[in-house]
Amino acid sequence: MNKIALFGALALSTFGTFAVAAEPALRIGIEAAYPPFAFKTADGKIAGFDYDIGNELCAQMQVKCQWVEQEFDGLIPSLKVRKVDAVLSSMSITEDRLKSVDFSKKYYHTPGKLVMKEGSQIQDPGVDLKGKKVAVQRASTYDRYASAELTPAGVNVVRYGSNNEAFLDLLAGRVDAVLADVVNIDEGFLKTDGGKGFALVGPDFNDPRYFGRGAGIAVRKGDAATAEKLNAAIDAIRSNGKYAEVQAKYFDYDIYGQ
Amino acid sequence: MLQGYGPIIVEGAWLTLTLALCSMALAILLGLTGAALRLSPLRWLANLGDAYATLIRGIPDLVLILLIFYGGQDLVNRIAPSLGYTAYIDINPFVAGVFTMGFIFGAYLSETFRGAFMAIAKGQAEAGAAYGMSGAQVFLRILVPQMIRFAIPGFTNNWLVLTKATALISVVGLQDMMFKAKNAADATREPFTFYLAVAGLYLLLTSVSLLLLRAVEKRYSVGVRTAEI
Repeated sequence: MNKIALFGALALSTFGTFAVAAEPALRIGIEAAYPPFAFKTADGKIAGFDYDIGNELCAQMQVKCQWVEQEFDGLIPSLKVRKVDAVLSSMSITEDRLKSVDFSKKYYHTPGKLVMKEGSQIQDPGVDLKGKKVAVQRASTYDRYASAELTPAGVNVVRYGSNNEAFLDLLAGRVDAVLADVVNIDEGFLKTDGGKGFALVGPDFNDPRYFGRGAGIAVRKGDAATAEKLNAAIDAIRSNGKYAEVQAKYFDYDIYGQ
Repeated sequence: MLQGYGPIIVEGAWLTLTLALCSMALAILLGLTGAALRLSPLRWLANLGDAYATLIRGIPDLVLILLIFYGGQDLVNRIAPSLGYTAYIDINPFVAGVFTMGFIFGAYLSETFRGAFMAIAKGQAEAGAAYGMSGAQVFLRILVPQMIRFAIPGFTNNWLVLTKATALISVVGLQDMMFKAKNAADATREPFTFYLAVAGLYLLLTSVSLLLLRAVEKRYSVGVRTAEI
């Protein structure tokens, strides 16, 4: 009995020392192909919201971070075979992914928004949109939400193959509003020439039953230590203003959600 | 040029060329070995060579790349600790790329080389032996130079296909010119500009290769009269 305890203590201490002595960098996987969250600048460097948040988190945790670029499809396999220790690449927390990896808490959750002619007033979508035409992308989470919540309230939901087509019909006046992800509306419509005279209106749409839990940082299944460190760091940069600083660099609206 | 993304794409082109050359060097080595095995009078050696060529030529390149990069890493992770290595050993994308491409094109080249050796008249080797040359001398001085002449058309094909197939390695994160072009296309939302640019670079690479290989073919055809019609 004593011998076993001694051996266990010995094994633990050896293991423990090794982990401390090595102090390896935290390798973070990212796909730099999703502006403004992650992209490559002309001099070949990674940039974007994900990248900046990651660096802030590392500074907060006081660990050295090493970014590893990978195609999005290759991020989870790389995590599983230990090529990276975490994936910070706008990855939504979904039930499917939770089967093979664990996630930190969300680090952003972009809400859905309505885009309409400037000056439109929407307080309660179920009431104020009655009889109006609202466009959504077919088979998207917004379609699911609109079909379940808006159609019964008397809103006329129109479905499009892509958000771009919906924006075109908003311009043409065939629909009164488009319901889509706020970043998609901003980058794909409001920042283009056609977006003049239109604005985001009404409340955020972020019902987790339809819109999920946001984007998290993936870690290996069972790696609770890394996940907890990341969670603490996310809380810390949320409260010390670093998060807001990074957010302001890329967005002029809140993307964290509630 | 190219909204400032030109230099990093050229950087990627250099990596593509390095990858292609390293892979080809390995492929030539494996191809010669494979051809030697398949021409061996020993039945089991010949079967081994056949098995290599059949197996590798029958599996898509992309599948092999993913198998070696992720599967190979998993294997290393499992085996290394049992050999006493506790540190993590990384298979980097370049190494994975060279091994995969070398392995695949070695199989194709073994076919090319085997055919080329078989095309040499038997009397050539016999004449060498009659002059008192050793087996190695016969091989290096008589068979290889003539084999090269027969192998060049098939070799050229393989080189062209290999050069273009290196673009597949970008799926495991190797920053070759395809990867850089995709970066630039995603960042600027102008895919055509950048994909056209790399298409041009691949074409340049293959055209220059064709010219060089044609010169090599000429060199090794010295002393062979071709019919003129």
